[in-house]
Amino acid sequence: MFTYFFRRLLAALPAIFGVIVIVFLIVRLAPGDPALMLAGELATPEILQLTRERLGLDKPWFINTEAFLEQGNPLALFDTQFTAFIVNLAQGDLGASTRTRSPVLTELGNFYPATLELALGAMIVALLIGIPAGLIAAVKPNTIVDYFVTLGALIGVSMPVFWFGLLAILFFSVQLGWFPVAGRGTLAHLVLPAISLGAGSAAIIARMTRSAMLEVLSQDYVRTARAKGLAQRLVINKHAFRNALIPVVTITGLQFGTLMAGAVLTETVFTWPGIGSLLVTSILARDYPVVQGAVLLIAISFIVINLLVDMIYGAIDPRIRYD
Amino acid sequence: MALSTRASAMTDIAPRPAPRRWLRQLLRRPLAATGFAIIGLFLLIVALAPFLAPYSPTRENLRTRYLPPGEGVSWRGPDGQFGLWVSPVTRHPTQGITLDAGRQYPVRLLVRGESWTWLFGLLRSDLRLFGVDGPVRFHLLGTDELGRDVLSRLIHGAWISLFIGGIAVIIGIVVGVPVGALSGYYGGKFDLVVQRLIDIVLAFPGILLAIVLVATLGTGLTNVMIAVGIASIPIYARLVRGSVLSLRDREFVDAARALGRRDLGTLFRHVLPNALAPVIVQSSLQMAVAILFAAGLGFLGLGARPPEPEWGLMLARGREYLATAPHVATFPGLAIMLVVLGFNLVGDALRDALDPRMK
Repeated sequence: MFTYFFRRLLAALPAIFGVIVIVFLIVRLAPGDPALMLAGELATPEILQLTRERLGLDKPWFINTEAFLEQGNPLALFDTQFTAFIVNLAQGDLGASTRTRSPVLTELGNFYPATLELALGAMIVALLIGIPAGLIAAVKPNTIVDYFVTLGALIGVSMPVFWFGLLAILFFSVQLGWFPVAGRGTLAHLVLPAISLGAGSAAIIARMTRSAMLEVLSQDYVRTARAKGLAQRLVINKHAFRNALIPVVTITGLQFGTLMAGAVLTETVFTWPGIGSLLVTSILARDYPVVQGAVLLIAISFIVINLLVDMIYGAIDPRIRYD
Repeated sequence: MALSTRASAMTDIAPRPAPRRWLRQLLRRPLAATGFAIIGLFLLIVALAPFLAPYSPTRENLRTRYLPPGEGVSWRGPDGQFGLWVSPVTRHPTQGITLDAGRQYPVRLLVRGESWTWLFGLLRSDLRLFGVDGPVRFHLLGTDELGRDVLSRLIHGAWISLFIGGIAVIIGIVVGVPVGALSGYYGGKFDLVVQRLIDIVLAFPGILLAIVLVATLGTGLTNVMIAVGIASIPIYARLVRGSVLSLRDREFVDAARALGRRDLGTLFRHVLPNALAPVIVQSSLQMAVAILFAAGLGFLGLGARPPEPEWGLMLARGREYLATAPHVATFPGLAIMLVVLGFNLVGDALRDALDPRMK
């Protein structure tokens, strides 16, 4: 189990490294002076100079051949911007927001819990709707119920999440006054954002559950279970559903990433104080240190979640062994 | 080519149905037909936008801001005759909407209205499919914060969504398909490197990759197209790599090689054509995703800029006065959903039709 875990972790490292490289490149490939972008447009010449020195912006990006040829020291090859970036990152130093002047890490820490809360809420909504809907559709294929679920799922994946959110606000908050219009705090605040973010995933989970169940229900062991007179409920719960879970868990894990990304839109609709709305505000305000931090955080969360999903496989399917 | 057909006929591939019969079978499925109909409708709207739209998408009128859908329109004329009749409506800063019910003008088909040019000035006319015959404007779907006609903006915005989607899919195919094909066919180190790169790109879930790219390239429609296009490259690469992997050791490929075709020739003449079916399916679904992403970026303020009638942007503007004029945000969202649904329906139907297990 542990060797498997470390092997998977090791396999995830190149992806994490790649994500870091991309985040490093955002500022450098964008048009404009990186120092200005990272220190903010109102920075004084002294602060600009300090930023340049701290991040080594006068050095090459990845490989410093000039220093190597001058000093003859192979280590000088890595006297670069990227090394400075990695070293700062390892110390938790992502710079400071050009808007609020507080450290990026603090900003991320303030906003991350809200996103996790939202994503988790949306995931619960998605599972609570998606799995039962898919199950019912698979147990009664080609009936009205099945068509209803299939069509609902199609509309669910076709609906822009931000539009659904707006309609939900319009109907449940503005017209009926059941839920607050925006913000975070009580459980009531979470309901609408979680539902509108979770709806798309519910649709995908429902489709996956349906097709996985249909596949399993046609297997011989299900026929055997039925033939020996087991109740339908038992056949479905014990024999079919458990075996249909693997693809559902996979897609659920992937959906978690989609939810984190979709949170960018949902958080903007509901003014939910999460990483997503932080990212958008920062892009629009050209607050690049925070953009870097937010992108890094979302991508690494996604990688970690996929890692965790791999771990869960073993728990639900003893056929998958970790060696 | 003849050789490859003979070679494949010798091995294991069932004879394919003739394309026309296949298409007819496809169109007989109600959901597929609905999908094609929706896409066709939107293509028609794109082609005939200025003729179909009653007004220009950017013409403002501050005396008719936030008019609800159909304000001033009635079913009965001055003498009780049936039809669509329009009365002048104005919004007064303090007194709200005032309606001059005493004057009524009929809505007619093929009316001369504001003149328009289309296709870079190639087409020029003042004929419109329908409009009011009289000195008054009517707004079937209401007006927005600047008094612009929402219906006209929706119609003129259609091409933006379809164009972004189309370009994004083309970028995805043009880069993703060859990369995936080479990666699957040659394997080895090249494959390994490509796969690791794709892993990295796919670590940015969903719309995040497009957002990162827009943050780097800058906002605007062109960059949205590029960003959404790049975001779909890994999906095509993965897909084609998988198909090529399963095909490259088949007998008809061996046959082509044995007959002395060079590697790239075998790959592009024999392997790739057989791997394209999933690409077609994916393109329909990818169109749906691209349109959603583009609208999302527009909504976040990272895409099209005002006064562009881009649907996501219209939704974002409508959000600000959701409580007083909900129609401004509602209709663009409906349009996005409808066109995305069309591509999803067609994609699903194509997948089912091309998947031999789904008979």
